[in-house]
Amino acid sequence: MLHLLKIDLKKMMNYRTFWVVCGLYFITLAFTTASGMEFLKWLANTFEDFGSELNINRIPLYHFPDVWLNLVWFSGCLKIVLAIMVVISVTNEFTYRTVRQNIIDGMSRSQFLFSKLLTNVLLSLMSVLMIFVIGLVTGMIYSPVIDMQNIITDLEFFPAYFLEIFFFLSYALMMSILIQRSGLTIILLLLSQMIEAIITANIDDVLPEIIPFFPMRSIWNLIKFPYQRYAFQEIQDYLKFSSVAIVVGWIVIFNYLSYLKLKKSDI
Amino acid sequence: METVLSIQSLTKNFGKLTAVNNLNLEVKRGQVFGMLGPNGSGKTTTLGMLMGVTNPTQGSFSWFGEAPSNEVRKKIGAVLEHPIFYPYLTGQKNLELNAMIKQCPPENIPNVLELVELTDRRDDKYKTYSLGMKQRLAIASALLNDPTVLILDEPTNGLDPMGIAEIRGLIKKIAANGKTIILASHLLDEVQKVCSHFAVLKKGNLVHIGPVDDVGKGSEVVEVGAEVANLNEVLLNFTGTSSIIKENGLYEVTLRDGFHSKELNRFLFDQGVTASHIHTKKRSLEKMFLEILAGS
Repeated sequence: MLHLLKIDLKKMMNYRTFWVVCGLYFITLAFTTASGMEFLKWLANTFEDFGSELNINRIPLYHFPDVWLNLVWFSGCLKIVLAIMVVISVTNEFTYRTVRQNIIDGMSRSQFLFSKLLTNVLLSLMSVLMIFVIGLVTGMIYSPVIDMQNIITDLEFFPAYFLEIFFFLSYALMMSILIQRSGLTIILLLLSQMIEAIITANIDDVLPEIIPFFPMRSIWNLIKFPYQRYAFQEIQDYLKFSSVAIVVGWIVIFNYLSYLKLKKSDI
Repeated sequence: METVLSIQSLTKNFGKLTAVNNLNLEVKRGQVFGMLGPNGSGKTTTLGMLMGVTNPTQGSFSWFGEAPSNEVRKKIGAVLEHPIFYPYLTGQKNLELNAMIKQCPPENIPNVLELVELTDRRDDKYKTYSLGMKQRLAIASALLNDPTVLILDEPTNGLDPMGIAEIRGLIKKIAANGKTIILASHLLDEVQKVCSHFAVLKKGNLVHIGPVDDVGKGSEVVEVGAEVANLNEVLLNFTGTSSIIKENGLYEVTLRDGFHSKELNRFLFDQGVTASHIHTKKRSLEKMFLEILAGS
């Protein structure tokens, strides 16, 4: 298994685009998630200009345990960058026809898919680790009291965050294998949120009960938008089993479809 | 002799088109097996099925008596159609990657690079290579795991005469080491020069299979020239003459089975005719190939 991961990493390690895109992703991830306080200060300044006052110390953005969900939700928005990297990596194999040579050289089709899946797992784990470290550091800096109880609260959002990233990368992998052209795949990836929103808006009156089962919606339901809690609203600060099950279901479906397509087609 | 490859009624349909139709074939150890056929006759499709990238519609095949699997493919070195590598990787890195996939020791890399004379360029990116270098790198990659079988599909396609000679020399060198080689080509001269056996495909059907040595066999053709006016009649009187064609002032005599140029020469001499030109023409594979295609 490790061998397959090594093969895929070998393809990437000397590919400049990979370093540029991954570098951009992780740098952006680090800077944006770590600069929440700067954003609040800017917000407070703007409020001042309009004559009202905002006490940023009353918004515990980076306090344990709020920091976990706040960072996890926000960094989920950047996953598209990582997904584009996956699209480039997989569609390259089809445009250069290297997938064909890989199989001629002795990989099985499922091994090929598996090597890509393992890279997705690695990229997802790296994102999780990154956000965990940033959360831990910023939490330590800004939390007024640091006690174990608050630190370990809400940690279940990290497995959920992993699922979110892995879900989206599996989706990108499937689209790449089905479409095989990078440009079209990236465009569809960027639009899928909107396309799904149009569909769900139209069936909202007819079949509202199936809406939670839509793939993009299932991610929004897994990790809910948390910031309205600072406007004194209730938020869902726990994981719902049904949401997890739907996301896991989609992950299985995406990867199985990738497998079927690879298995059936002439490469 | 040990059977390396055995194909049983292999068929591939692309929609309505039958690319390969009910193909049966056996390749034995040590053969240099040429697969001939015009463009679109199903050579690459057949090789694609043998290497697991094209799914057969029907039929089966076995390598070394084993059912096809990715593990079996690791024992085979193959270049189908064009050389395929990661353009952004160097020749060296590409081979390292292939060694990982084939699970063979990377220590072979310097040897194969030396064999195809690419050692100097190993640290340049693949995309900077010329077509001939790409072809040679592909052969190097195919040889990486010291395979017992080598599959080459049009290995001299698009090469200049020097490149063609180089690749041909390379194939001969490899064949001399006792490796089994399957060579698909439409360059008949190439096949005649390097192959021991050959098969001819036409529109997906196998129309001929046999040793290359058989090509020269059969009725002999002798070119005769002499400074006599009635040479035509004299030649017709020879009992071994089957037919005569006049071409460029010379007579091309096709002999009956069992007759040779030697007897024709003696006959002419006995008739008081001294030939100024007498030449036994060996039948070329090209001629035979065209005959086979026309006859099928």
